[in-house]
Amino acid sequence: MDRITASDIIRLFEAWKALFAQQREFLISLDGKVGDSDLGITMSKSFAAAAEALEVEGEAAGISKLLRTAGATMARTAPSTMGTLTATGFLRASKAVEGRDALGTADIAAFWRAFRDGVAERGKAKVGDKTLLDVLDPIAVTLEAQAAVGASLAQALAATSAAAEQALEATKSMLAQHGKAAAFQEKTIGLQDAGATVGYFLIRRMAEFVAEA
Amino acid sequence: MKKFLNEPNNFVDEMLEGIYKAHPAVTYAADDKRCLVTSKVKAGKVGIATGGGSGHLPLFLGYVGDGMLDGAAVGGVFQSPSAEQMYQVTRHIDQGAGVLYIFGNYSGDIINFDMAAELADLDGIQVRQVVGNDDVASSVVGEEHKRRGVAGIFFVYKAAGAAAAEGLSLDEVTRLADKARLRTRTMGVALSSCVVPEIGHATFSIGEDEMEIGMGIHGEPGISRKKLAPADKVIDEMMERIFAEQDYKRGDDVAVLVNGLGGTPMEELYILFRRVSQLLEERGVTARHVWVGEFATSMEMAGASVSILHLDEELDRLVSAPANTPFFKHLAG
Repeated sequence: MDRITASDIIRLFEAWKALFAQQREFLISLDGKVGDSDLGITMSKSFAAAAEALEVEGEAAGISKLLRTAGATMARTAPSTMGTLTATGFLRASKAVEGRDALGTADIAAFWRAFRDGVAERGKAKVGDKTLLDVLDPIAVTLEAQAAVGASLAQALAATSAAAEQALEATKSMLAQHGKAAAFQEKTIGLQDAGATVGYFLIRRMAEFVAEA
Repeated sequence: MKKFLNEPNNFVDEMLEGIYKAHPAVTYAADDKRCLVTSKVKAGKVGIATGGGSGHLPLFLGYVGDGMLDGAAVGGVFQSPSAEQMYQVTRHIDQGAGVLYIFGNYSGDIINFDMAAELADLDGIQVRQVVGNDDVASSVVGEEHKRRGVAGIFFVYKAAGAAAAEGLSLDEVTRLADKARLRTRTMGVALSSCVVPEIGHATFSIGEDEMEIGMGIHGEPGISRKKLAPADKVIDEMMERIFAEQDYKRGDDVAVLVNGLGGTPMEELYILFRRVSQLLEERGVTARHVWVGEFATSMEMAGASVSILHLDEELDRLVSAPANTPFFKHLAG
C-alpha cells in the first residue's frame, strides 16, 4: 500500500495488539532485569484495549479521531510510565494528521515527529538517556529524510525500521538515566532498553503491515 | 512493625472507607474510591484538584472542602495516583470555569497530571497547573525547579481555594496560587524513619541520637545527618536557611506552619514554634497567621517541618478567608 487509510489504522492496531500479546513474556523478562517487569503487561493490555476501542469506533470516525481514541484508551488502561508515554504519542500523532483521510510518506513522517516530540515532552528525557526516545528520534529523522527524497511509503518505512533496529542496538552501550532502571546504572550497560524495544516493535510492525498489503 | 492493619494491601482502601463514613462532605467519582471529590460541587466556580500518594494525611485529600479544594486523586502509599483517576476527578469537579491542579514536584505525579490534563483538554476542559516546590533542602537556589513539594503546599491550597471561592477566573486563581507557591519556603528535620505497610520495615535507619536536616517526606536524603541538637538550635539552623531565601523586611507579615511528620507530640511542635516566633520577633517580622499541628505527615516518622509564607496584602486576604474541610477548619480572620 502507498497510503494508510482509516480502515488500515484499525487493522494496524489489531496487528500491534497481536504483536504485543506475542512479545509479552519477552518484554517482561527484558524489563525485569532492571525495572519492575510490568512493561510486557502494560503494552499487551493497552494495545488490546486500544484495538478493541477502534473496532467499536469504526473507520467512519476518520484517522485522527481513531488515533485519539487509541491514545485516550491507552492512557486509561495502563497507568504506568510507558503506557502514558505511548498514549501521549498517539494523541499527538492524532493532532498531527488532523483532516487527512489517508497517510502518505510525508504524513507518516509528521505522525512520528509528533509522536516523538510528545514522548520527549512528557517523559522529559533527552536523546542518549537510554529510553524509548533513542529509537523514536531516528524514526522521525529517517522518515523526514525519506519524505524529502520522495520515497514511497513502503520504502520509507523499510529504511526507517532498519534505522530503528540500529538505534535499538545502540541503546546497549548507554547508561540508564530515568525510571527504576536509573538505580541500576552500570548494570544497564550491555542491555537494550526495554522502552526503546517497544518503539522498534511499533515501527517494524508498521513497516511489515504496509509491505504485506 | 507495629501498626493497626487488617491486610497491608487494603491499607489505602480501608482508610478511605473510614474517611467516607466519617466525613459525608466528601464522596467519590467514577465508582472509584480513589477519586475523592467534594459532595457539593459549586456551580460556576473554578475547580481545584490535587493528588498524590497516601501516607501523608491530612495531605492530600484532607483539604477537600469549602474554601480549599474540590477533589483529590488518591494513590497507594507514597505512589502517584493514575492519570485516569486524576482525569475522573477533573471531569467531576469542572463547572465550565476550568480546573487548577496543585500537586507536589515528584516525577510520577507530574507525568500523570500532565496526561490527565491532556485527556481533559480533549473534553474541552481548561486545565492549569501549579507544582509545589517549597522544600529548600532538596536543591540549591537557582535550581528551584528541582525542589520537592512538602507541607508548604498547604498555603498554596489555602490561597487558591479562597480565590476560587471568591469567584475569580481560572487565570486569576492560577496567578494567586503561583504567587503563594513562590513566596512559600519549608525546611524539615527527621528523627526517625517511616514504615510503608506493604513493605513492613523502616524505609531507612537513623541512630537513636541522630537527626537528619532536610529529609524529604518519603525519606529522601536531606542536607546533613548529625547528633540531635537542642530544639532551639535545630530551629536556628532551619530558619537561617529559610530567611536566606527571601528578603524579609522589618514590618513584613508572614504565615507560619509548624508541621509534625506523624510521630512527634504536639508539645514538641510548640517548643519549636516558640523559637520560630522569637526569631521572627528579632527581625521585626509579624506572624499574622500561625498553625501548629499535623498537616503533611510521613506515616509514623518523628520530625517536623516549618513553612513560612511571606505575605502581601492579597495573600493575607486569601489566607484569612474561612475554610471548612475534614482536616482543616478556619473561621474568617
